[in-house]
Amino acid sequence: MTVRTDSAAPAPAASALDAAAIAAISDGLDEPQWLRELRAAWWQRAEATPWPTGQEEEWRRTSLDGLPRDARLVTQAATVRCALDTDLADAGVVFSDLRDAVRTHPELVERHLGRRETRPVHARSWAQAHAAWTAGTFLYVPRGVVVDRTLVARLQVTEPGAAWFPLTLVVADEGSDVSLLEEVTSPDGAPSWYGGVVDLVAAPSSRVRYAGLQRLGDGAWNIGAKRVEVGQDAEVTTLDAQVGSSVTKVGLDVRMSGKGGTSRLLGLLAAGGTQHIDLDSVQDLIASHTTSDLLYLSALYDEARAAFYGVTRVEREAKGTSSYQECRNLLLSPKAGAEPIPVLEIETNDILRCGHGATAGAIDPTQRFYAQSRGLSEDEAERMIVRGFFEQVVSQVRSETIRERVLTALAPRIGAEEEEAA
Amino acid sequence: MAIPNAALKQIPDSYKYGWHDPEMVPLNIMKKGLSAEVVEDISKFKGEPEWMTKLRLKAYRHFESRPTPTWGADLTPIDFQDIYYYAAPTNKAVQSWDDVPDYIRRTYDKLGIPEAEKKYLAGVGGQYDSEVVYHNIRSELEEQGVLFLGTDQALKEHPELFREYYGTVIPANDNKLAALNTAVWSGGSFIYVPKGVHVDLPLQAYFRINTESVGQFERTLIIADEGSSVHYVEGCTAPTYTSASLHSAVVEIIVKKGARVRYTTIQNWSHNVYNLVTKRAVAHEDAVMEWVDGNLGSRVTMKYPSIYLLGERAHGEVLSIAFAGDGQHQDAGGKIIHAAPNTTSLITSKSISKGTGRTSYRGLVKVYPGCEHSKSTVRCDALILSDEARSDTYPYMEIDEEDVTIGHEATVSKVGSEQLFYLMSRGLSEAEASAMIVNGFIEPIVKELPMEYAVEMNRLIQLQMEGAVG
Repeated sequence: MTVRTDSAAPAPAASALDAAAIAAISDGLDEPQWLRELRAAWWQRAEATPWPTGQEEEWRRTSLDGLPRDARLVTQAATVRCALDTDLADAGVVFSDLRDAVRTHPELVERHLGRRETRPVHARSWAQAHAAWTAGTFLYVPRGVVVDRTLVARLQVTEPGAAWFPLTLVVADEGSDVSLLEEVTSPDGAPSWYGGVVDLVAAPSSRVRYAGLQRLGDGAWNIGAKRVEVGQDAEVTTLDAQVGSSVTKVGLDVRMSGKGGTSRLLGLLAAGGTQHIDLDSVQDLIASHTTSDLLYLSALYDEARAAFYGVTRVEREAKGTSSYQECRNLLLSPKAGAEPIPVLEIETNDILRCGHGATAGAIDPTQRFYAQSRGLSEDEAERMIVRGFFEQVVSQVRSETIRERVLTALAPRIGAEEEEAA
Repeated sequence: MAIPNAALKQIPDSYKYGWHDPEMVPLNIMKKGLSAEVVEDISKFKGEPEWMTKLRLKAYRHFESRPTPTWGADLTPIDFQDIYYYAAPTNKAVQSWDDVPDYIRRTYDKLGIPEAEKKYLAGVGGQYDSEVVYHNIRSELEEQGVLFLGTDQALKEHPELFREYYGTVIPANDNKLAALNTAVWSGGSFIYVPKGVHVDLPLQAYFRINTESVGQFERTLIIADEGSSVHYVEGCTAPTYTSASLHSAVVEIIVKKGARVRYTTIQNWSHNVYNLVTKRAVAHEDAVMEWVDGNLGSRVTMKYPSIYLLGERAHGEVLSIAFAGDGQHQDAGGKIIHAAPNTTSLITSKSISKGTGRTSYRGLVKVYPGCEHSKSTVRCDALILSDEARSDTYPYMEIDEEDVTIGHEATVSKVGSEQLFYLMSRGLSEAEASAMIVNGFIEPIVKELPMEYAVEMNRLIQLQMEGAVG
């Protein structure tokens, strides 16, 4: 990424964003006219879309009252590191900071950027990021190209108390195959606002594995949205690993719009302190013979609280679909709390399989007793059981790079195999 | 209420309770619509004590101030000013069928109530529009101190007992529809079972709306004193009119230490009734409360029987069956609030949607901090019988205690073509085969019903299935 120097105008507070500030972002990045217009159009939409009031079903469990709206927009410092081997670049794979992709592959970016919308309850975050992004990841895999190693993008902001709205755009063209890990970090301390959105499109017959590892600082408000579109016969696996932040509210919007598509939606959540993690999802089975399975696991320590509101919707025209939604919560402290809410909305009778399950509870005392009778301390026993619980998700992650990074990020809470063995 | 509605024209002729008795002209009927004046008139007409009049008015103000709920079924067609809030067919409840006026007795004869009373029941109450017309209880129970009478009568005859419990489970400023009931309630059953008394046969009440555009707002209050037990059964029907009727009941149940109450409802209102009911029980130490809730009729039902487990080791169960045919929306479920340690609960829901029908399970399991060793299981199964039918599941869970075991499972399925094929190869018609599969699906709940209701339920399902296989 090239470092640009820029006029000395101070960055605006997130709450002070207006059309001029959006234009100033374009100026600072020396953007082409089409992108200026695109940002302006999305800003108009953002202004026309109020923030959720708390009355919406998806927003009843998280209030935006404490959102640090005065945090200053990061215009320069956020970095995105993407490494791409030359053989992949030669095959036409584009993987870079979105700002760079705009310059190196303008037509490709223009064709795909900002073309889609998400659900109305997350439309504001979506529009805001599309207008005010200053960092982001761009991945394009051409038709038929198989990327045989895991790509890793690291998004980082170094100043505390910042506001940033990174945009991730992943397009896997027909028959391609790719794994991407995106890791986002920010420093602890002053309240900050992370409003990242992810727009992932899996074209027919492609295979995409996308992992988002959230390691934001302890003052961060993570308010974002992810949209996944699964084309005909495509297969998408997402892993949502939530580790950091003070408050997280992210909406996942999965559209099974191509016949025969498959999605596997995995989540791991380890929260402690007073962390509040609230996720909502829609698995929208639009096309026939689609399959969508969701499995989210949380381990909740201290006074942490997790809410999960997940909707499986089977549309009238979608015949022969299979879906399952599962949310399991392990409560590891008397003050931890969970609200798993799995919702079904089924509009056809022609279904192969449809159901959901949700649980919340403490570690089974017999498991704990067994582990301790083998000589483990209480803490070690607990960590081992939690790791075993997470294994249901971890074992479904094929990429060793992703498994390793996610387990490392979780280790401060759940320990690691080697440690206990030592 | 807003009258013409395409959905109503589709009501099948198979609704066997759809007649109305043209001779039955209400003896007393208040003018249409609702106002503080109407609320006061009802209270005055009934000769109530002042505290009840005041409570009614307080509830009316709450009703006025609250918006109509929008989170569930579509209630916009209800015009609260186009309903008769009070219609009395007779002046007093009697204790022998011979004393019931002829035109009312004809209705109950058609429904088969007197016969059932002789055979299976410990006591029967019947309510026609707003007033209780019949109430009887076996004499041996009466001798043991069991009270089973119309709620209005209980207010007159047992004022202190009544006041001690009335409105303690569902206060006047509860939800909008419960407030409406508190403002205009009339009729319903009052049951008191003294300490240690077991009522072995079910007590039954039968609710019937007979007059067009009449709302029925019965109020039921059941108190099971320590170590007692009782099973109460209610059935509901109404004639098929082109304009809709409103049924908005409130049921309060107090299950004291070690007592046991089962409350069974077979709701079979005609398909023009809006059935918006608040049912809530509190269960004290070692008490057991069970709701068995069958919803077959009505155009729209919104009903979530709830249980507050207030004492240690209290147990609550909700068994719910919903069947939604063309134009119907059954939005039903259950709520369990764990507010004491070692409490346990079970919600089982079976729903079936057919034609353009829609069933929604909506439920809540809440565990307060400090309620350790609580266990709850929620199981919802839905069967969708046609292309245009719809099924939803909205199970809410709020868990604020670590040391608990809380689980929810749900499935949605259709009638399998292999199952149908197998049964039809044995000589059953498609309708018979489907009905058999549906009966098998709801069997875990039907077997909990009193015999005559189980038979009736199976027959109703059969009727619903005829000539309508998707």
